Amino acid sequence: MLSSATPRAPLRQFGAALLAPYAAMADLGEHPPSSARVFFGAALWLGLCPPLFAFVGTTVFGWRLGVDPIFLPRSTVAAISAAYFALLLVGLLSTAVVARWMAVTYGADTSFSRCLALVTLVGTPLAVGSVVHLYPDAYLNLVVLVPTLSWSMFLLYRGLPIVLKTDPARGMLMASSLIAYVLISWVTLLCVTAVLWGLGIGPRIAT
Amino acid sequence: MTIQTKARLTAPYEDRIVTAFTACSIVWAILGMTAGVYAAAELVWPQLNFGLPWLSFGRIRTAHTNLVLFGFGVSALIGTSFYSVQRTSHVRLFAPWLAWSVFYAWQLAIVLGAWSLLAGWNGGKEYAELEWPFDIAITVAWLAYAVVFFGTIARRKIAPIYISNWFYGSLIIVVAMLHVVNNLALPATLGKSYSLFPGAQDAIVQWWYGHNAVGFLLTGGFLGMLYYFLPKQAEQPIWSYRLSIVAFWAFVYSYIWAGPHHLHYTAIPEWVQSLGVVMSLVLLAPSWATMINGVMTVSNAWQKLRTDPALKFIVLALVFYGLATFEGPMMAIRSVNVMSHFTEWTIGHVHSGALGWNAMITFGTFYFLVPRLAGRPLHSVQLANMHFWLALTGTLLYILSMWAAGLSQSLLWLSLDDLGAVRYSFVDVMRAMAPYYLLRLLAGILFLIGTVLMAVNLLRTFAGVRTVEVAPPILATTHREATVGTS
Repeated sequence: MLSSATPRAPLRQFGAALLAPYAAMADLGEHPPSSARVFFGAALWLGLCPPLFAFVGTTVFGWRLGVDPIFLPRSTVAAISAAYFALLLVGLLSTAVVARWMAVTYGADTSFSRCLALVTLVGTPLAVGSVVHLYPDAYLNLVVLVPTLSWSMFLLYRGLPIVLKTDPARGMLMASSLIAYVLISWVTLLCVTAVLWGLGIGPRIAT
Repeated sequence: MTIQTKARLTAPYEDRIVTAFTACSIVWAILGMTAGVYAAAELVWPQLNFGLPWLSFGRIRTAHTNLVLFGFGVSALIGTSFYSVQRTSHVRLFAPWLAWSVFYAWQLAIVLGAWSLLAGWNGGKEYAELEWPFDIAITVAWLAYAVVFFGTIARRKIAPIYISNWFYGSLIIVVAMLHVVNNLALPATLGKSYSLFPGAQDAIVQWWYGHNAVGFLLTGGFLGMLYYFLPKQAEQPIWSYRLSIVAFWAFVYSYIWAGPHHLHYTAIPEWVQSLGVVMSLVLLAPSWATMINGVMTVSNAWQKLRTDPALKFIVLALVFYGLATFEGPMMAIRSVNVMSHFTEWTIGHVHSGALGWNAMITFGTFYFLVPRLAGRPLHSVQLANMHFWLALTGTLLYILSMWAAGLSQSLLWLSLDDLGAVRYSFVDVMRAMAPYYLLRLLAGILFLIGTVLMAVNLLRTFAGVRTVEVAPPILATTHREATVGTS
């Protein structure tokens, strides 16, 4: 039984999102782990996957954008991977904070631990799907990560009312608002990257 | 009260014309999106033009943009404005015969215009490709539209002019101004004319037109639709009417300056480019004020989401409206524009607005409107829900694939070798784009299938019935008479 009195290891609790999503949602709704358990027990490790895979893939195979592979110096790849990791953690925590802020409007549970658990749950498929970074072909990554993103969106729309204890209709509105926030954050990131690039702060291609 | 006055007050709203515009809008949506899908397929398999000039990408793509913008979009806007202006004015449409003339003239212009574009007539200005005979015909039809719309408002029985009418009104006035000025040209033959403006001035006028077509047609016009149909669907008043008025004036003032951001790093003066950037950034405030107003209005009506498929479209439309109106100002910044311009990122941005905002809000409105025009419930809620997921998936897939394609493109184009020459040729980069074009094609097909499902659903809803007649409410003393003292 998922609703046993003994709490499960956070990584297993969130990993269940891949195979038994409804059970994972119900489990998190009934037994929300503390913020510290979510962050140090699951989010941190899941967040480490994409930059780690990207580091290995980029150094071994190079970026593949449809032309010859583009190799970057190892120090540049390490810096990009570290920035990637930091951004993922900032994104995770800020989205949880925004979810907590929105929860008041949508009549949902306002505890930070539940919001963090929800965001971690939604991010789990993307973290696991990032294994595709091991071969950094841009198109392959898109083809793998788009269905993964759909799975994450399913978890968000279905999981939000269960984990944050609100009405499904209000949950739909809150989930859409969160998607708006994530899309805006993503575009901000794109534009900041472009500005930095324009200022000459960017990766140097190895020759 | 005289017999004539009583008859005029009790005459039913002219809603048959709304049905006609809605039906044509859906037909143009399907044809326009099919042209878009075909153009997308040509980018993957260029041989699909079969060596025929009228099937070439340049012509098909132009037919696509004109059909979806002026066929689907404008037909929906005229139809919904006729519906809402009668109800917010409590009076039958002014000069119904003129309104019907607008309908026939507009549809004829679309049919012949699309044919002329496929035949190779092209003025050479993006979104203003139609040649001078069409430009004149469109001007006449548009002025007739203005007479009907403002004539109805002039005869209104309610003193305040509701906010949706301000937006529709700004659409009519500004589009008339843009269309006439940008299309000033010297005709050489029946199918060819040359712009009156020289060089860089022509470019500035063109993008003053182009950006404000986005502003006052694709944003302002559809905000008129939102401000009427969202509160009706949600059965809630606008969250903050005062905010909607403030946002309207801020929107009208700031949008008109933003056009030069389409012309960064060109021969136009740098201060004009900078002005375009600043006003584009200012524009974020009124855009988001409207988004917040919409989101908060829906938030108070969450119970309706359980039963009303139309409201879901509106919620998603607001999300994409927020995204597109944020992304646009960001892309106007010169150092972002250097990466995004001329890449697929721009195409993705346009479609996050066109599919995510314009099409979604129109679909939501049609799902509200058609059952009321038919006087019976929607044929299938399940089909509408399927349409919703197809539209959402198609839009997201489109945007994501174009983001990835655009970033790859800019990375490759900006990559220089040791001697400072471009590292990758145009052909290299185009070849690298082919897989993304395939994904975009898939996204377009998904979106198109959803639209066809909507057409079937609405057709079945309307099958075998006529447009319901609805009479304006008769008040003992109308609000306007009480307010302005005219009886």
